[in-house]
Amino acid sequence: MTAKIIDGKAISASIKEELKERLKKLYLLGVTPGLSGVLVGEDPGSATYIRLKEKVSAELGVNSAMLRLAADITQDKLLAEIERLNADASIHGIFLQLPLPEHLNENVALAAVSPDKDVDGFHPTNIGKAWLGQSAFIPAGALAVHEMILRSGFKPDGKDMVIVGVDDLVGKPLASILVQDRVGSRANVTLCDPSIENLASYTKRADILVVAANRPRFITGDMVKDGVVVLDAGSNWQLDPVTKKNKTVGDVEFDSVGEKAAAITPVPGGVGPMLIIMLMSNTIMAAEHASNC
Amino acid sequence: MAQEIIDGRKIAAEIREELKQRVLKLKDKGVTPGLAAILLGEDPGSLSYLRSIAKGCEAVGMLTETVKLQENISQENLEAEIIKLNHNPKFHGIILQLPLPKHLDTIRAESTISPEKDVDGTNPVSTGKLLLGEDTFLPSTPRGVQELLIRSGHSPEGKHVVICGRSNIVGKPLMGILIQKKEGANATITVCHTGTKNLASITRQADIIVAAMGKAGIITADMVREGATVVDVGVNQIQDPVSGKFRLVGDVDFDAVKEKAGAITPVPGGTGPVTSAILLANTVWAAEKVTI
Repeated sequence: MTAKIIDGKAISASIKEELKERLKKLYLLGVTPGLSGVLVGEDPGSATYIRLKEKVSAELGVNSAMLRLAADITQDKLLAEIERLNADASIHGIFLQLPLPEHLNENVALAAVSPDKDVDGFHPTNIGKAWLGQSAFIPAGALAVHEMILRSGFKPDGKDMVIVGVDDLVGKPLASILVQDRVGSRANVTLCDPSIENLASYTKRADILVVAANRPRFITGDMVKDGVVVLDAGSNWQLDPVTKKNKTVGDVEFDSVGEKAAAITPVPGGVGPMLIIMLMSNTIMAAEHASNC
Repeated sequence: MAQEIIDGRKIAAEIREELKQRVLKLKDKGVTPGLAAILLGEDPGSLSYLRSIAKGCEAVGMLTETVKLQENISQENLEAEIIKLNHNPKFHGIILQLPLPKHLDTIRAESTISPEKDVDGTNPVSTGKLLLGEDTFLPSTPRGVQELLIRSGHSPEGKHVVICGRSNIVGKPLMGILIQKKEGANATITVCHTGTKNLASITRQADIIVAAMGKAGIITADMVREGATVVDVGVNQIQDPVSGKFRLVGDVDFDAVKEKAGAITPVPGGTGPVTSAILLANTVWAAEKVTI
Protein backbone atom coordinates (compact mmCIF):
# COMPACT_ATOMS: atom_id res chain seq x y z
CA MET A 1 0.00 0.00 0.00
CA THR A 2 1.35 3.39 -0.99
CA ALA A 3 -1.29 5.59 0.58
CA LYS A 4 -0.08 8.18 3.04
CA ILE A 5 -1.65 7.62 6.44
CA ILE A 6 -3.28 10.74 7.81
CA ASP A 7 -2.40 10.45 11.47
CA GLY A 8 -5.08 11.96 13.68
CA LYS A 9 -3.03 11.54 16.84
CA ALA A 10 -0.05 13.45 15.42
CA ILE A 11 -2.22 16.25 14.00
CA SER A 12 -4.14 16.56 17.23
CA ALA A 13 -0.84 16.75 19.17
CA SER A 14 0.40 19.61 17.01
CA ILE A 15 -2.90 21.49 17.36
CA LYS A 16 -2.60 20.99 21.11
CA GLU A 17 0.76 22.79 21.10
CA GLU A 18 -0.78 25.69 19.18
CA LEU A 19 -3.65 25.88 21.64
CA LYS A 20 -1.16 26.12 24.51
CA GLU A 21 0.32 29.24 22.89
CA ARG A 22 -3.15 30.79 22.61
CA LEU A 23 -3.80 29.89 26.23
CA LYS A 24 -0.65 31.70 27.35
CA LYS A 25 -2.00 34.90 25.85
CA LEU A 26 -5.28 34.43 27.66
CA TYR A 27 -3.52 33.76 30.99
CA LEU A 28 -1.62 37.03 30.56
CA LEU A 29 -5.00 38.76 30.41
CA GLY A 30 -5.99 36.95 33.58
CA VAL A 31 -8.42 34.70 31.70
CA THR A 32 -8.57 30.93 32.07
CA PRO A 33 -11.09 29.39 29.67
CA GLY A 34 -13.85 27.49 31.42
CA LEU A 35 -15.72 24.57 29.87
CA SER A 36 -18.89 23.10 31.28
CA GLY A 37 -20.45 19.88 30.04
CA VAL A 38 -23.92 18.79 31.04
CA LEU A 39 -24.42 15.06 31.50
CA VAL A 40 -27.95 13.86 32.22
CA GLY A 41 -28.16 10.36 33.64
CA GLU A 42 -25.48 7.70 33.81
CA ASP A 43 -25.07 6.31 30.33
CA PRO A 44 -21.64 4.64 30.52
CA GLY A 45 -20.53 5.81 27.06
CA SER A 46 -21.48 9.41 27.81
CA ALA A 47 -19.81 9.25 31.22
CA THR A 48 -16.58 8.06 29.55
CA TYR A 49 -16.68 10.92 27.04
CA ILE A 50 -17.21 13.48 29.78
CA ARG A 51 -14.24 12.08 31.73
CA LEU A 52 -12.05 12.24 28.61
CA LYS A 53 -13.04 15.85 28.04
CA GLU A 54 -12.21 16.60 31.68
CA LYS A 55 -8.84 14.94 31.29
CA VAL A 56 -7.88 16.83 28.13
CA SER A 57 -9.06 20.12 29.69
CA ALA A 58 -6.77 19.49 32.68
CA GLU A 59 -3.81 18.60 30.45
CA LEU A 60 -4.23 21.80 28.49
CA GLY A 61 -4.98 24.12 31.38
CA VAL A 62 -8.65 24.75 30.65
CA ASN A 63 -10.93 24.80 33.67
CA SER A 64 -13.65 22.22 33.41
CA ALA A 65 -16.80 22.08 35.48
CA MET A 66 -18.89 19.13 34.42
CA LEU A 67 -22.46 19.11 35.61
CA ARG A 68 -23.90 15.68 36.31
CA LEU A 69 -27.68 15.75 36.53
CA ALA A 70 -30.16 13.05 37.53
CA ALA A 71 -31.64 10.99 34.69
CA ASP A 72 -35.17 12.04 35.64
CA ILE A 73 -34.56 15.80 35.65
CA THR A 74 -37.44 17.79 34.16
CA GLN A 75 -37.07 19.85 30.99
CA ASP A 76 -37.67 23.06 32.96
CA LYS A 77 -34.98 22.25 35.51
CA LEU A 78 -32.52 21.33 32.77
CA LEU A 79 -33.23 24.65 31.03
CA ALA A 80 -32.73 26.48 34.32
CA GLU A 81 -29.33 24.81 34.77
CA ILE A 82 -28.32 25.81 31.23
CA GLU A 83 -29.48 29.35 31.94
CA ARG A 84 -27.33 29.42 35.06
CA LEU A 85 -24.27 28.35 33.04
CA ASN A 86 -25.10 30.95 30.36
CA ALA A 87 -24.97 33.62 33.07
CA ASP A 88 -21.75 32.36 34.68
CA ALA A 89 -18.87 34.55 33.44
CA SER A 90 -16.24 31.97 34.38
CA ILE A 91 -17.73 29.50 31.88
CA HIS A 92 -16.90 30.26 28.25
CA GLY A 93 -18.04 27.04 26.66
CA ILE A 94 -21.08 24.85 27.32
CA PHE A 95 -21.97 21.53 25.74
CA LEU A 96 -24.69 18.98 26.34
CA GLN A 97 -23.48 15.40 26.29
CA LEU A 98 -25.88 13.72 23.85
CA PRO A 99 -28.07 11.79 23.66
CA LEU A 100 -30.34 13.16 26.37
CA PRO A 101 -32.87 10.81 28.00
CA GLU A 102 -35.98 10.44 25.86
CA HIS A 103 -38.32 12.53 28.02
CA LEU A 104 -36.22 15.63 27.29
CA ASN A 105 -36.48 17.74 24.15
CA GLU A 106 -32.97 17.85 22.71
CA ASN A 107 -33.62 20.61 20.16
CA VAL A 108 -35.09 22.91 22.79
CA ALA A 109 -32.22 22.23 25.18
CA LEU A 110 -29.57 22.83 22.50
CA ALA A 111 -31.23 26.09 21.49
CA ALA A 112 -31.19 27.20 25.15
CA VAL A 113 -27.38 27.29 25.25
CA SER A 114 -26.16 30.83 24.60
CA PRO A 115 -24.85 30.97 21.00
CA ASP A 116 -21.73 32.72 22.37
CA LYS A 117 -20.94 29.67 24.53
CA ASP A 118 -22.19 26.96 22.19
CA VAL A 119 -18.83 25.25 21.62
CA ASP A 120 -20.47 22.19 20.04
CA GLY A 121 -21.91 24.45 17.33
CA PHE A 122 -25.38 22.92 17.56
CA HIS A 123 -27.38 26.12 18.18
CA PRO A 124 -29.44 27.18 15.14
CA THR A 125 -27.75 30.59 15.20
CA ASN A 126 -24.30 29.02 14.87
CA ILE A 127 -25.46 26.55 12.23
CA GLY A 128 -26.98 29.42 10.26
CA LYS A 129 -23.99 31.71 10.61
CA ALA A 130 -21.60 28.97 9.54
CA TRP A 131 -23.73 28.27 6.48
CA LEU A 132 -23.83 31.95 5.59
CA GLY A 133 -20.04 32.16 5.93
CA GLN A 134 -19.98 34.22 9.12
CA SER A 135 -17.78 33.57 12.14
CA ALA A 136 -19.41 30.79 14.18
CA PHE A 137 -18.78 27.72 16.28
CA ILE A 138 -18.70 24.67 14.02
CA PRO A 139 -19.15 21.08 15.28
CA ALA A 140 -15.89 19.30 16.15
CA GLY A 141 -16.38 16.45 13.67
CA ALA A 142 -16.57 18.79 10.68
CA LEU A 143 -13.70 20.97 11.93
CA ALA A 144 -11.58 17.88 12.50
CA VAL A 145 -12.05 16.58 8.96
CA HIS A 146 -11.31 20.00 7.46
CA GLU A 147 -8.16 20.47 9.57
CA MET A 148 -6.92 16.98 8.68
CA ILE A 149 -7.29 17.69 4.96
CA LEU A 150 -5.45 21.00 5.18
CA ARG A 151 -2.73 19.88 7.57
CA SER A 152 -1.83 16.85 5.50
CA GLY A 153 -1.15 19.16 2.57
CA PHE A 154 -4.33 18.78 0.53
CA LYS A 155 -6.51 21.65 -0.64
CA PRO A 156 -10.26 21.43 -1.13
CA ASP A 157 -10.11 24.49 -3.40
CA GLY A 158 -11.52 23.61 -6.80
CA LYS A 159 -11.69 19.91 -5.93
CA ASP A 160 -14.63 17.56 -6.25
CA MET A 161 -15.47 16.82 -2.62
CA VAL A 162 -17.99 14.10 -1.98
CA ILE A 163 -19.49 13.71 1.48
CA VAL A 164 -21.33 10.48 2.22
CA GLY A 165 -23.69 11.05 5.13
CA VAL A 166 -26.01 14.00 5.61
CA ASP A 167 -26.05 14.46 9.37
CA ASP A 168 -25.71 17.47 11.67
CA LEU A 169 -22.38 16.36 13.18
CA VAL A 170 -20.20 15.99 10.10
CA GLY A 171 -21.98 16.05 6.72
CA LYS A 172 -23.96 19.29 6.80
CA PRO A 173 -21.48 21.35 8.85
CA LEU A 174 -18.59 20.17 6.69
CA ALA A 175 -20.52 21.21 3.58
CA SER A 176 -21.05 24.58 5.23
CA ILE A 177 -17.27 25.01 5.54
CA LEU A 178 -16.44 23.79 2.04
CA VAL A 179 -18.98 25.77 0.01
CA GLN A 180 -17.67 29.11 1.24
CA ASP A 181 -15.76 31.38 -1.11
CA ARG A 182 -12.57 31.23 1.01
CA VAL A 183 -9.08 29.78 0.72
CA GLY A 184 -9.19 26.22 2.06
CA SER A 185 -12.80 25.84 0.88
CA ARG A 186 -14.21 26.69 -2.59
CA ALA A 187 -14.83 23.05 -3.37
CA ASN A 188 -17.47 21.53 -5.60
CA VAL A 189 -19.39 19.84 -2.83
CA THR A 190 -21.63 16.83 -3.28
CA LEU A 191 -23.71 15.59 -0.36
CA CYS A 192 -24.98 12.01 -0.65
CA ASP A 193 -27.24 10.01 1.57
CA PRO A 194 -25.52 6.63 2.13
CA SER A 195 -28.62 4.74 1.07
CA ILE A 196 -28.89 6.06 -2.50
CA GLU A 197 -28.78 3.38 -5.19
CA ASN A 198 -25.97 4.65 -7.38
CA LEU A 199 -23.68 5.83 -4.59
CA ALA A 200 -20.54 4.54 -6.31
CA SER A 201 -21.16 6.77 -9.32
CA TYR A 202 -20.69 9.74 -6.98
CA THR A 203 -17.88 8.41 -4.81
CA LYS A 204 -15.86 7.46 -7.92
CA ARG A 205 -15.80 11.10 -8.97
CA ALA A 206 -14.36 12.32 -5.68
CA ASP A 207 -10.93 13.93 -5.42
CA ILE A 208 -11.54 14.02 -1.68
CA LEU A 209 -14.03 11.63 -0.12
CA VAL A 210 -15.45 12.05 3.37
CA VAL A 211 -17.51 9.25 4.86
CA ALA A 212 -19.70 9.71 7.90
CA ALA A 213 -22.33 7.05 7.46
CA ASN A 214 -21.78 4.83 10.51
CA ARG A 215 -21.88 1.69 8.40
CA PRO A 216 -18.90 -0.61 8.97
CA ARG A 217 -16.58 -1.07 5.97
CA PHE A 218 -19.22 0.45 3.74
CA ILE A 219 -16.94 2.10 1.17
CA THR A 220 -14.87 -0.43 -0.74
CA GLY A 221 -11.95 -0.13 -3.14
CA ASP A 222 -14.12 -0.46 -6.25
CA MET A 223 -16.05 2.68 -5.23
CA VAL A 224 -13.14 5.13 -5.39
CA LYS A 225 -10.76 6.38 -8.05
CA ASP A 226 -6.98 6.21 -7.97
CA GLY A 227 -5.35 8.99 -6.01
CA VAL A 228 -8.37 9.89 -3.90
CA VAL A 229 -7.91 11.36 -0.42
CA VAL A 230 -10.18 9.55 2.05
CA LEU A 231 -11.36 10.78 5.44
CA ASP A 232 -13.26 8.23 7.49
CA ALA A 233 -15.40 9.73 10.24
CA GLY A 234 -17.15 6.46 10.98
CA SER A 235 -16.79 4.58 14.21
CA ASN A 236 -18.51 1.23 14.52
CA TRP A 237 -18.19 -1.50 17.15
CA GLN A 238 -17.78 -4.80 15.41
CA LEU A 239 -16.93 -8.33 16.33
CA ASP A 240 -13.65 -9.42 14.81
CA PRO A 241 -14.24 -12.85 13.25
CA VAL A 242 -10.67 -13.96 14.02
CA THR A 243 -10.07 -12.75 17.55
CA LYS A 244 -13.78 -12.89 18.53
CA LYS A 245 -13.33 -9.54 20.22
CA ASN A 246 -15.16 -6.29 19.57
CA LYS A 247 -13.15 -3.59 17.93
CA THR A 248 -13.70 -0.19 16.38
CA VAL A 249 -13.88 -0.16 12.60
CA GLY A 250 -14.52 2.71 10.23
CA ASP A 251 -16.95 3.23 7.36
CA VAL A 252 -14.17 2.61 4.87
CA GLU A 253 -12.66 -0.77 4.05
CA PHE A 254 -9.14 0.33 4.85
CA ASP A 255 -7.16 -2.29 2.93
CA SER A 256 -8.94 -2.17 -0.43
CA VAL A 257 -9.43 1.62 -0.44
CA GLY A 258 -5.89 2.14 0.83
CA GLU A 259 -4.59 0.37 -2.30
CA LYS A 260 -5.97 3.13 -4.49
CA ALA A 261 -5.91 6.20 -2.26
CA ALA A 262 -3.21 8.86 -2.17
CA ALA A 263 -3.96 9.36 1.51
CA ILE A 264 -6.34 7.85 4.04
CA THR A 265 -7.25 8.15 7.71
CA PRO A 266 -7.15 4.98 9.78
CA VAL A 267 -9.81 3.96 12.30
CA PRO A 268 -8.96 4.09 15.13
CA GLY A 269 -6.32 6.83 15.16
CA GLY A 270 -7.86 9.06 12.51
CA VAL A 271 -10.73 11.49 13.03
CA GLY A 272 -11.49 10.17 16.55
CA PRO A 273 -8.46 11.61 18.37
CA MET A 274 -9.18 15.01 16.79
CA LEU A 275 -12.65 15.48 18.22
CA ILE A 276 -11.89 16.55 21.78
CA ILE A 277 -9.06 18.83 20.69
CA MET A 278 -11.42 20.65 18.30
CA LEU A 279 -13.86 21.12 21.20
CA MET A 280 -10.97 22.63 23.16
CA SER A 281 -10.16 24.88 20.22
CA ASN A 282 -13.75 26.12 20.18
CA THR A 283 -13.65 26.70 23.95
CA ILE A 284 -10.48 28.75 23.68
CA MET A 285 -12.04 30.71 20.80
CA ALA A 286 -15.06 31.41 23.01
CA ALA A 287 -12.77 32.72 25.77
CA GLU A 288 -10.87 34.83 23.23
CA HIS A 289 -14.10 36.36 21.96
CA ALA A 290 -15.32 37.02 25.49
CA SER A 291 -12.07 38.82 26.34
CA ASN A 292 -11.78 40.61 22.95
CA CYS A 293 -8.50 38.86 22.28
CA MET B 1 -37.89 15.28 -28.32
CA ALA B 2 -40.87 16.97 -26.81
CA GLN B 3 -39.66 19.89 -24.73
CA GLU B 4 -41.66 21.19 -21.86
CA ILE B 5 -41.51 24.86 -21.00
CA ILE B 6 -42.29 25.17 -17.29
CA ASP B 7 -44.74 28.03 -16.90
CA GLY B 8 -43.84 29.86 -13.71
CA ARG B 9 -46.67 32.34 -14.08
CA LYS B 10 -49.24 29.56 -14.15
CA ILE B 11 -47.73 27.89 -11.08
CA ALA B 12 -47.65 31.23 -9.26
CA ALA B 13 -51.32 31.79 -10.13
CA GLU B 14 -52.18 28.36 -8.67
CA ILE B 15 -50.36 29.22 -5.45
CA ARG B 16 -52.14 32.57 -5.20
CA GLU B 17 -55.53 30.88 -5.69
CA GLU B 18 -54.78 28.62 -2.71
CA LEU B 19 -53.59 31.59 -0.69
CA LYS B 20 -56.87 33.46 -1.33
CA GLN B 21 -58.73 30.73 0.55
CA ARG B 22 -56.31 30.89 3.48
CA VAL B 23 -56.55 34.67 3.59
CA LEU B 24 -60.36 34.44 3.68
CA LYS B 25 -60.16 32.13 6.69
CA LEU B 26 -57.86 34.59 8.45
CA LYS B 27 -60.18 37.46 7.67
CA ASP B 28 -63.04 35.52 9.27
CA LYS B 29 -60.98 35.72 12.43
CA GLY B 30 -60.43 39.43 11.94
CA VAL B 31 -56.86 39.17 10.70
CA THR B 32 -55.52 40.52 7.40
CA PRO B 33 -52.01 39.25 6.65
CA GLY B 34 -49.66 42.20 6.20
CA LEU B 35 -46.25 42.48 4.54
CA ALA B 36 -43.88 45.40 5.08
CA ALA B 37 -41.12 45.94 2.52
CA ILE B 38 -38.24 48.21 3.42
CA LEU B 39 -36.61 50.02 0.52
CA LEU B 40 -33.66 52.37 0.76
CA GLY B 41 -33.45 54.85 -2.07
CA GLU B 42 -35.21 54.61 -5.41
CA ASP B 43 -33.53 51.77 -7.31
CA PRO B 44 -35.82 51.19 -10.34
CA GLY B 45 -35.29 47.41 -10.31
CA SER B 46 -36.28 47.19 -6.64
CA LEU B 47 -39.26 49.46 -7.17
CA SER B 48 -40.54 47.32 -10.00
CA TYR B 49 -40.07 44.14 -7.91
CA LEU B 50 -41.94 45.66 -4.99
CA ARG B 51 -44.73 46.84 -7.29
CA SER B 52 -45.19 43.27 -8.49
CA ILE B 53 -45.20 42.04 -4.88
CA ALA B 54 -47.81 44.66 -4.03
CA LYS B 55 -49.97 43.52 -6.93
CA GLY B 56 -49.74 39.95 -5.73
CA CYS B 57 -50.68 40.96 -2.19
CA GLU B 58 -53.70 42.83 -3.51
CA ALA B 59 -54.74 39.85 -5.64
CA VAL B 60 -54.86 37.50 -2.64
CA GLY B 61 -56.39 40.06 -0.27
CA MET B 62 -53.31 40.91 1.77
CA LEU B 63 -52.14 44.22 3.07
CA THR B 64 -48.79 45.56 1.97
CA GLU B 65 -46.79 48.68 2.52
CA THR B 66 -43.42 49.83 1.20
CA VAL B 67 -41.43 51.67 3.84
CA LYS B 68 -39.21 54.01 1.86
CA LEU B 69 -36.12 55.24 3.67
CA GLN B 70 -33.33 57.60 2.70
CA GLU B 71 -30.33 55.98 1.09
CA ASN B 72 -28.00 57.72 3.56
CA ILE B 73 -29.85 56.48 6.66
CA SER B 74 -27.57 55.42 9.54
CA GLN B 75 -27.36 51.80 10.72
CA GLU B 76 -28.96 52.78 14.05
CA ASN B 77 -31.91 54.49 12.40
CA LEU B 78 -32.43 51.62 9.96
CA GLU B 79 -32.46 49.13 12.85
CA ALA B 80 -34.85 51.39 14.77
CA GLU B 81 -37.23 51.34 11.78
CA ILE B 82 -37.01 47.55 11.62
CA ILE B 83 -37.72 47.27 15.36
CA LYS B 84 -40.77 49.51 14.93
CA LEU B 85 -42.07 47.12 12.29
CA ASN B 86 -41.26 44.13 14.53
CA HIS B 87 -43.63 45.65 17.09
CA ASN B 88 -46.34 46.67 14.62
CA PRO B 89 -49.09 44.01 14.75
CA LYS B 90 -50.38 45.10 11.32
CA PHE B 91 -47.40 43.41 9.68
CA HIS B 92 -46.79 39.65 9.90
CA GLY B 93 -43.88 39.68 7.50
CA ILE B 94 -41.00 42.07 6.93
CA ILE B 95 -38.60 42.08 4.01
CA LEU B 96 -35.54 44.21 3.51
CA GLN B 97 -34.84 44.91 -0.15
CA LEU B 98 -31.20 44.23 -1.01
CA PRO B 99 -28.55 45.31 -1.83
CA LEU B 100 -28.16 47.93 0.89
CA PRO B 101 -25.87 50.92 0.34
CA LYS B 102 -22.25 50.12 1.17
CA HIS B 103 -22.10 52.03 4.48
CA LEU B 104 -24.65 49.67 6.04
CA ASP B 105 -24.09 46.22 7.58
CA THR B 106 -26.54 43.91 5.79
CA ILE B 107 -26.14 40.98 8.15
CA ARG B 108 -26.76 43.10 11.22
CA ALA B 109 -29.79 44.68 9.63
CA GLU B 110 -31.22 41.31 8.59
CA SER B 111 -30.59 39.88 12.03
CA THR B 112 -32.69 42.70 13.48
CA ILE B 113 -35.82 41.39 11.77
CA SER B 114 -37.76 39.36 14.32
CA PRO B 115 -37.53 35.62 13.43
CA GLU B 116 -41.35 35.47 13.68
CA LYS B 117 -41.62 38.02 10.85
CA ASP B 118 -38.55 37.02 8.86
CA VAL B 119 -40.56 35.79 5.84
CA ASP B 120 -37.50 35.86 3.57
CA GLY B 121 -35.67 33.57 6.01
CA THR B 122 -32.57 35.80 6.13
CA ASN B 123 -31.91 35.74 9.89
CA PRO B 124 -29.11 33.24 10.71
CA VAL B 125 -31.48 31.52 13.17
CA SER B 126 -33.85 30.84 10.27
CA THR B 127 -30.94 29.51 8.19
CA GLY B 128 -29.90 27.24 11.06
CA LYS B 129 -33.42 25.87 11.43
CA LEU B 130 -33.60 25.35 7.68
CA LEU B 131 -30.50 23.15 7.83
CA LEU B 132 -31.77 21.25 10.85
CA GLY B 133 -35.01 20.59 9.00
CA GLU B 134 -37.09 22.43 11.60
CA ASP B 135 -40.18 24.47 10.76
CA THR B 136 -39.04 27.90 9.67
CA PHE B 137 -39.47 30.47 6.92
CA LEU B 138 -37.54 29.33 3.88
CA PRO B 139 -36.06 32.00 1.61
CA SER B 140 -38.52 32.54 -1.22
CA THR B 141 -36.26 32.03 -4.24
CA PRO B 142 -34.90 28.57 -3.33
CA ARG B 143 -38.22 27.52 -1.82
CA GLY B 144 -39.82 28.69 -5.07
CA VAL B 145 -37.44 26.50 -7.08
CA GLN B 146 -38.46 23.49 -5.01
CA GLU B 147 -42.16 24.28 -5.39
CA LEU B 148 -41.82 24.83 -9.13
CA LEU B 149 -40.11 21.46 -9.52
CA ILE B 150 -42.75 19.66 -7.48
CA ARG B 151 -45.73 21.32 -9.14
CA SER B 152 -44.39 20.76 -12.64
CA GLY B 153 -43.95 17.06 -11.92
CA HIS B 154 -40.16 17.07 -11.65
CA SER B 155 -39.76 16.31 -7.97
CA PRO B 156 -36.11 16.37 -6.85
CA GLU B 157 -36.55 13.17 -4.79
CA GLY B 158 -33.76 10.72 -5.47
CA LYS B 159 -32.41 12.94 -8.24
CA HIS B 160 -28.96 14.43 -8.70
CA VAL B 161 -29.42 18.18 -8.51
CA VAL B 162 -26.47 20.31 -9.58
CA ILE B 163 -26.70 23.86 -8.28
CA CYS B 164 -24.51 26.35 -10.11
CA GLY B 165 -23.90 29.26 -7.75
CA ARG B 166 -23.36 29.31 -4.00
CA SER B 167 -24.94 32.60 -2.94
CA ASN B 168 -26.53 33.07 0.45
CA ILE B 169 -29.88 33.82 -1.16
CA VAL B 170 -30.14 30.96 -3.66
CA GLY B 171 -27.41 28.31 -3.89
CA LYS B 172 -26.68 27.60 -0.25
CA PRO B 173 -30.25 27.64 1.06
CA LEU B 174 -31.44 25.54 -1.91
CA MET B 175 -28.82 22.94 -1.01
CA GLY B 176 -30.06 23.03 2.58
CA ILE B 177 -33.68 22.59 1.51
CA LEU B 178 -33.10 19.74 -0.94
CA ILE B 179 -30.81 17.60 1.26
CA GLN B 180 -33.47 17.22 3.95
CA LYS B 181 -34.94 13.79 4.46
CA LYS B 182 -38.38 15.05 3.53
CA GLU B 183 -40.95 14.67 0.82
CA GLY B 184 -40.09 16.93 -2.10
CA ALA B 185 -36.42 16.92 -1.10
CA ASN B 186 -34.25 13.80 -0.54
CA ALA B 187 -31.96 14.74 -3.40
CA THR B 188 -28.25 14.25 -3.93
CA ILE B 189 -26.83 17.74 -4.28
CA THR B 190 -23.70 19.12 -5.86
CA VAL B 191 -22.93 22.81 -5.50
CA CYS B 192 -20.57 24.38 -8.05
CA HIS B 193 -19.55 27.96 -8.55
CA THR B 194 -18.14 30.40 -11.08
CA GLY B 195 -14.61 29.25 -10.21
CA THR B 196 -15.37 25.60 -10.97
CA LYS B 197 -13.00 24.48 -13.74
CA ASN B 198 -14.77 21.35 -14.90
CA LEU B 199 -18.28 22.80 -14.62
CA ALA B 200 -19.56 21.07 -17.78
CA SER B 201 -18.40 17.64 -16.61
CA ILE B 202 -20.40 18.14 -13.42
CA THR B 203 -23.54 19.65 -14.96
CA ARG B 204 -23.67 16.82 -17.49
CA GLN B 205 -24.20 14.41 -14.56
CA ALA B 206 -27.27 16.30 -13.41
CA ASP B 207 -30.86 15.16 -13.56
CA ILE B 208 -31.78 18.70 -12.56
CA ILE B 209 -29.62 21.79 -13.15
CA VAL B 210 -30.30 24.97 -11.21
CA ALA B 211 -28.49 27.97 -12.68
CA ALA B 212 -27.96 30.77 -10.19
CA MET B 213 -24.64 32.35 -11.04
CA GLY B 214 -25.78 35.71 -12.33
CA LYS B 215 -23.96 35.30 -15.66
CA ALA B 216 -25.98 35.63 -18.83
CA GLY B 217 -26.09 32.46 -20.91
CA ILE B 218 -23.34 30.64 -19.00
CA ILE B 219 -25.16 27.31 -19.16
CA THR B 220 -24.88 26.15 -22.76
CA ALA B 221 -26.36 23.13 -24.53
CA ASP B 222 -23.15 21.07 -24.36
CA MET B 223 -23.31 21.29 -20.57
CA VAL B 224 -26.73 19.65 -20.35
CA ARG B 225 -27.56 15.99 -20.53
CA GLU B 226 -30.32 15.00 -22.95
CA GLY B 227 -33.64 15.12 -21.09
CA ALA B 228 -32.42 16.99 -18.01
CA THR B 229 -34.62 19.50 -16.19
CA VAL B 230 -33.15 23.00 -16.26
CA VAL B 231 -34.22 25.70 -13.81
CA ASP B 232 -32.94 29.20 -14.49
CA VAL B 233 -32.78 31.56 -11.52
CA GLY B 234 -30.56 34.11 -13.25
CA VAL B 235 -31.85 37.57 -14.08
CA ASN B 236 -29.41 39.53 -16.22
CA GLN B 237 -30.08 42.70 -18.14
CA ILE B 238 -28.36 42.72 -21.50
CA GLN B 239 -28.40 45.13 -24.41
CA ASP B 240 -29.51 43.78 -27.75
CA PRO B 241 -26.68 44.48 -30.19
CA VAL B 242 -29.11 45.16 -33.04
CA SER B 243 -31.97 47.14 -31.52
CA GLY B 244 -29.92 48.65 -28.68
CA LYS B 245 -32.76 47.82 -26.31
CA PHE B 246 -32.29 46.23 -22.91
CA ARG B 247 -33.92 42.93 -22.11
CA LEU B 248 -33.83 40.33 -19.34
CA VAL B 249 -32.14 37.01 -19.90
CA GLY B 250 -31.30 34.13 -17.60
CA ASP B 251 -28.09 32.24 -16.90
CA VAL B 252 -29.12 29.59 -19.42
CA ASP B 253 -28.70 29.86 -23.18
CA PHE B 254 -32.42 29.21 -23.50
CA ASP B 255 -32.85 28.69 -27.26
CA ALA B 256 -30.11 26.09 -27.51
CA VAL B 257 -30.66 24.35 -24.17
CA LYS B 258 -34.39 23.94 -24.70
CA GLU B 259 -33.65 21.63 -27.64
CA LYS B 260 -31.83 19.26 -25.31
CA ALA B 261 -33.54 19.64 -21.96
CA GLY B 262 -36.58 17.59 -21.04
CA ALA B 263 -38.05 20.62 -19.27
CA ILE B 264 -36.85 24.17 -18.85
CA THR B 265 -37.95 27.41 -17.22
CA PRO B 266 -37.96 30.63 -19.27
CA VAL B 267 -36.70 34.04 -18.14
CA PRO B 268 -38.83 36.01 -17.56
CA GLY B 269 -41.87 33.95 -16.58
CA GLY B 270 -40.06 31.09 -14.84
CA THR B 271 -38.80 31.16 -11.28
CA GLY B 272 -39.45 34.90 -10.74
CA PRO B 273 -43.24 34.77 -10.42
CA VAL B 274 -43.04 31.69 -8.17
CA THR B 275 -40.58 33.49 -5.86
CA SER B 276 -43.09 36.30 -5.40
CA ALA B 277 -45.92 33.87 -4.71
CA ILE B 278 -43.83 32.06 -2.09
CA LEU B 279 -43.12 35.34 -0.33
CA LEU B 280 -46.88 35.86 -0.05
CA ALA B 281 -47.32 32.28 1.16
CA ASN B 282 -44.69 32.79 3.86
CA THR B 283 -46.47 35.95 5.02
CA VAL B 284 -49.83 34.20 5.15
CA TRP B 285 -48.18 31.41 7.19
CA ALA B 286 -46.68 34.00 9.55
CA ALA B 287 -50.16 35.43 10.10
CA GLU B 288 -51.63 31.96 10.63
CA LYS B 289 -48.98 31.15 13.23
CA VAL B 290 -49.98 34.09 15.40
CA THR B 291 -53.71 33.59 14.79
CA ILE B 292 -54.48 29.87 14.99
